[in-house]
Amino acid sequence: MPLYPGPLQDLIDEMGRLPGIGPKSAQRITFHLLKSPAEDAMRLAQAIVAVKERISLCERCFDVAEDTYCVICNDDRRQTGTICVVEEAKDIVSVERTGQFSGRYHVLQGSLNPIEGVGPEQLRIKELLARLEEEDVQELILCTNPNLEGEATAMYLARLLQPLGLSVTRIASGLPVGGDLEYADDLTLARALEGRREIGNA
Amino acid sequence: MHLLSVSITNFRNITEAHLEFDPDGTTVLTGNNGMGKTSVIEAIGYLATLQSFRGAPKDALVRNGSPSAIVRAVVNTEGRHITIEAEIGAQGRSRTLVNRQPVKRRSELHGVLRASVFTPEYVGVIREGPSWRRSFLDNTLEVLDTRNEAVIVEVDRVLRQRAALLRNGGRRPSPEVLTTLDVWDDRLARSGSALVEAREALVAELQPLIQKHHDALAGASVPVTVTYGRSWEDDLASALVSARDHDLQRGITSVGPHRDELTITLDGLPSRTHASQGEQRSLALALQLAAHDLATARLGSAPLLLLDDVFSELDPERTRALLAGMPPGQTLLTTALPPPPEVEAARIYRISLDGWTMENPGGDGHGVAV
Ligand SMILES: [Zn+2]
Repeated sequence: MPLYPGPLQDLIDEMGRLPGIGPKSAQRITFHLLKSPAEDAMRLAQAIVAVKERISLCERCFDVAEDTYCVICNDDRRQTGTICVVEEAKDIVSVERTGQFSGRYHVLQGSLNPIEGVGPEQLRIKELLARLEEEDVQELILCTNPNLEGEATAMYLARLLQPLGLSVTRIASGLPVGGDLEYADDLTLARALEGRREIGNA
Repeated sequence: MHLLSVSITNFRNITEAHLEFDPDGTTVLTGNNGMGKTSVIEAIGYLATLQSFRGAPKDALVRNGSPSAIVRAVVNTEGRHITIEAEIGAQGRSRTLVNRQPVKRRSELHGVLRASVFTPEYVGVIREGPSWRRSFLDNTLEVLDTRNEAVIVEVDRVLRQRAALLRNGGRRPSPEVLTTLDVWDDRLARSGSALVEAREALVAELQPLIQKHHDALAGASVPVTVTYGRSWEDDLASALVSARDHDLQRGITSVGPHRDELTITLDGLPSRTHASQGEQRSLALALQLAAHDLATARLGSAPLLLLDDVFSELDPERTRALLAGMPPGQTLLTTALPPPPEVEAARIYRISLDGWTMENPGGDGHGVAV
């Protein structure tokens, strides 16, 4: 198979490593960039560098942040004492869009998934436990995805947290089963939040 | 639901084919073996289930050297023409569109195109191991009610997650592993019990239909029993608890729907080991026909019948009995030999090196009644 000149092949290889991009798409994107004006390509390169230099994870909740803490943790108007637990930072956007939640978040950075080698130790669960006392948390809302791994993660957290005497609720069913939070429309998610229930240990 | 036409490109050994079917009656595909008759049936079956009924991996369906295979069918559902198009990539990427809208789940297709497939390999449901019979039940459940698909998919996924956990957790698992195991077991107990109850209810419905079809095929009444056997007693949750130490030691899940068996007896004897080849074929056909009947009754219209090379395996009496008791509805059948005289073909296609040609039924000296 003929190889392209070094830099071109490097970019194709890098693109191909991104999630959801196969070899063909990697090639197409690379040639698109090659043809685009230099400024366009430069803007993309700078955006990538800026993200890596300026964005890190919030030291408290592991949301994306430009400072030590994220925008939400830095906002005094947010109520403390209630934490909404999500799998990924992008899920915060979904919950925020509903306008139904005014507390803080905790991003687990994934869900229980033995096939992918993810157990409780790989998630930010220790950090969540530490926050319970520090922030005098009364209620935890488990907002993991309504699919098998998300449900298992919620159930695991409920078993861990309920003995500590705080209120642990799970967003109501009615979300499309097997899906991702990000695909639920705002109204459905708002209803699910509103109808959240104390999670059963059955 | 009627299949009006199918266009096939680079599927198996077919470079290009376009066939139009009789909407109500029987269309016969004939010609020498190895020319692609079965591939046509397999391609149509793929559109109904998104898998090969031969159990072949997707990349095996793409003609050698082609980047992808394309199968397109036009279906008439209650007066509406619906186009189903599947692209199967040689490197694993596949997609399916119904009226140009992407399909996310297999069950979305059940409302558009349903097919009951009969092939000589299906005798495996009697002759082979228990996984064949569990698949038969699960496939039937999916066709009867699309909601069953979610349960079947979840059971499979939980079992794979549990297997990974047992494998990585080791023989002396940490407390974290044990707590996560509790969680997976809880899911398995719930979805596994639901699946097994659905399977048992299905078996009860199938039993009289299987008996009826077997009597007709065998030309005599021989008692057939169909019994679902769970791999545990009482409830699945406590069975998983009792089996836990054993499962941790062995790294497997020893109880659950994936270990259950469906036992089929003929005249009091287990058919897997004691029935003759001919009896096994009749039983396998009776199972498929029973599932087809149930689907027709439940869904209000008959699934498309796909009969691949069925007559070569049956003796003349059973062939006659099968054709006499054929369910009504659209049928597509393949045969290398001239079809038996009882076949009422509305349309005949012959495959040769020049491709597919339509023949005039009855006018070609095959003795085919119209
Ligand atoms: Zn934060």
